Amino acid sequence: MRQLLNGNEAAAHAARLARVEVLASYPITPAAPAMEKITQFIAEGSLKARFIRVESDHSAMAAALGASLAGARPFLITNSQGLAYMSEVLYHTSGLRQPVVMAVVNRALAAPHSRFPEQGDAVAQEAAGWIQLFCENNQEVLDSLLQAFRLGEDEGVRLPVMVNYEGYIQSHTRETVDLPQQEEIDGFLPLMRRPALDVANPMAVNTVAGPELYMDFKYHQDAALQQAAAVLEEVSAAYARLTGRDWGGPVAGYRLEDAEVVLVAMGSLVSTARIAVDALREEGEKAGLLKIRLFRPFPAVAVRQGLPAARAIVALDKNIVYGVGGALGRELRASLYGHASVPVFSYILGLGGRDAGVADLAQIYRQVRENMVAGLTPAAYQWYGL
Amino acid sequence: MELINSLAAVPDTELFTGGHGGCRGCGAALAARQAMKALGPRTIITIPASCMATIGGSGLTTAWEIPFYHSLFECAPAVASGIRAALDIQGIEDVNVVSWAGDAGTADIGFQSLTGAAERQENIIHVCYDNETYMNTGGQAGSATPYLAATPDTPAGKPTPRKDMLAIMAAHRPAYLATASVAYPLDLIQKFQRAREIEGFRYIHILAPCFKGWGIKEDQTVQLARIAVECGLWQLYEEVDGRRRVTVIPERRLPVREYLRLQGRFQTMDEATIAALQAAVDRRWQEVPS
Amino acid sequence: MAAKDLPLVPGARPGSMAAAAAMERIREQRPAIDKEKCNLCRECLLYCPDAALAIAGGEVRLELRFCKGCGICARECPARAITMVPEYAGDRGLVGEE
Ligand SMILES: Cc1ncc(C[n+]2csc(CCOP(=O)(O)OP(=O)(O)O)c2C)c(N)n1
Ligand code: SF4
Ligand code: SF4
Ligand code: SF4
Ligand SMILES: [Mg+2]
Repeated sequence: MRQLLNGNEAAAHAARLARVEVLASYPITPAAPAMEKITQFIAEGSLKARFIRVESDHSAMAAALGASLAGARPFLITNSQGLAYMSEVLYHTSGLRQPVVMAVVNRALAAPHSRFPEQGDAVAQEAAGWIQLFCENNQEVLDSLLQAFRLGEDEGVRLPVMVNYEGYIQSHTRETVDLPQQEEIDGFLPLMRRPALDVANPMAVNTVAGPELYMDFKYHQDAALQQAAAVLEEVSAAYARLTGRDWGGPVAGYRLEDAEVVLVAMGSLVSTARIAVDALREEGEKAGLLKIRLFRPFPAVAVRQGLPAARAIVALDKNIVYGVGGALGRELRASLYGHASVPVFSYILGLGGRDAGVADLAQIYRQVRENMVAGLTPAAYQWYGL
Repeated sequence: MELINSLAAVPDTELFTGGHGGCRGCGAALAARQAMKALGPRTIITIPASCMATIGGSGLTTAWEIPFYHSLFECAPAVASGIRAALDIQGIEDVNVVSWAGDAGTADIGFQSLTGAAERQENIIHVCYDNETYMNTGGQAGSATPYLAATPDTPAGKPTPRKDMLAIMAAHRPAYLATASVAYPLDLIQKFQRAREIEGFRYIHILAPCFKGWGIKEDQTVQLARIAVECGLWQLYEEVDGRRRVTVIPERRLPVREYLRLQGRFQTMDEATIAALQAAVDRRWQEVPS
Repeated sequence: MAAKDLPLVPGARPGSMAAAAAMERIREQRPAIDKEKCNLCRECLLYCPDAALAIAGGEVRLELRFCKGCGICARECPARAITMVPEYAGDRGLVGEE
């Protein structure tokens, strides 16, 4: 069934279709409407779930974690300040291997105060042990969220998943979204109960781990996270068989075969870059696009395989890791190091809602092309659009 | 429900077993042991960062016979809310969900999630085991630390009085509210029995001395928990629907001076301050129906 | 070196601390219960923070693996039936039956 939905509505429908059982969320702009839509589903009876009207984001994550530990399928939504405030609980959730799914409606972190889109909030949690997916449009928001439950709950993974889409650009913009049938999703996402807190089978969770244990637990956790890339391939393929929509695995290429200059992006910039690539191709440019769908674990192998003909790579980052540069730029260089000597031109753009449109990406492309032809070594990173 | 009226009627089963990592004479461990006699095996407990979070679970061993989760410091009542929601959705009804926190996990860093859960009237029991300091980090002062108590970060005595958590929690109009002391195990056990039978948000505040923080000897834990009641500084009562009932009227009344002078932490308190405290306690006692 | 095989959710199963208990390592004194004086009132049972006391076979039994020797039972026994005796007495070594 096709409907015009904004990103928040798409996320809410995903929660409904996944039959989430516990919703714990604390209002924050521009994520709050997604939460309100789900509470509306609960009120009208189209979703049987308990809403916990928590007093803070920290408690939202804590309540979702408690619900997961007790065997339910929880869901929550947040961003920016709320996500930063949850940070401590994010680590508990991954360390305790709970497959909690959360939508993150990316927004810039203060200060200075901003409520506009940017991916720095998710990037700041890159080491928290969560799987992180980024979506380019609202259909992907819905589809990735549904896939996220199956991915996180996979026996070999058992980890929490963040599904990212940008504030306003996605959360408040309507697009056509095809909604799968409930029965289809029920088959795709069977409910598995694996309570850690169970009076029938008691266990003490999060006992103090000394130096003789802590590191081994972390080894297993990291190994499970590494599994997520391969499992995402399987989950995406299964989802494609069900719905006909294939978002690919950890990365997806666009016009890459003979591409010499490749734009690399995640989130809404991907759709923008797609149009830019088409326009550049019209002009005879050998432009291509590599979409990063999975940011954590970072799919280094898939990235290398995706860039066969590249002579220059353009990392487009809507985030800044202060003193280092863009997260994608850093990851791309690390992924290629020792494998290919392709220069990575790293751009910081679109922070705090600053426009980054098709013309901007085309301009960046031309800059990079010139530098490449001139054989210039890329700067560590540059700010675009100041 | 039959109230446990004699020590002989207390179940033998230990749900917080021996072998735990608490210090000798730990009042916190004692409180948990006593309470578990009433709560029983169909209980899920979550305890935030504190002595009690760590002493019952180390490495691959635990003293808990029931499901236990050592949660983050700020959020045990929120975790408990999530657990309750998960049980509700699964149709599991006869399980007690307990968040059990120290005085910091209750009155300070844990207060935000506590007031939230209380206001929502979550169907959980929150227990504060109160040793009046931050023992797990070395006994620093918190809002529950009494006036003039010396701690590592208030060496000259804490300059402000203790936060009145019972008044604060009573203002949330909980379904049940009670004080308890590890020196009165039957009273404590009965309160947990009554709390179990009531639905909604329940708050139980247990005085659980810590010899290290209080400057007493290891064998004085129970003695001080008793004298606190006998001198009137710690009243044992319960409130159902806001109606207070004093549950223990001590056989003897002791001056507060006796309680204070037994403890190393009140050494800087002068006689005038003690007299003022005594006067305040006397005023409070006049309100108690005998 | 391979990582240790561990439970997926970090934690522990019931009974494990009790099974591993060995408080003789830290105990400096232990309660000695005078059966003549003890009236089986059970007070000590509920005041022991370590669940080391129980009544079995008509007498108070002490689980020495649990007892840390805090002395609360001795102080609280209304019949004064418990005295604390030192585990070690200088170079005379271990005191007690075991
Ligand atoms: C967010 C956070 N801040 C600080 C700490 C350090 N910390 C652990 S326990 C504790 C004090 C606990 O005091 P209380 O709740 O009274 O319990 P007690 O240890 O006295 O039994 C502190 C400050 C922590 N674990 N987490
Ligand atoms: S420091 Fe105090 S509260 Fe903590 S374990 Fe020791 S006796 Fe118990
Ligand atoms: S308290 Fe004393 S009299 Fe009572 S059971 Fe224990 S040892 Fe016996
Ligand atoms: S000395 Fe302490 S630990 Fe040992 S039995 Fe007595 S009360 Fe229990
Ligand atoms: Mg304390």
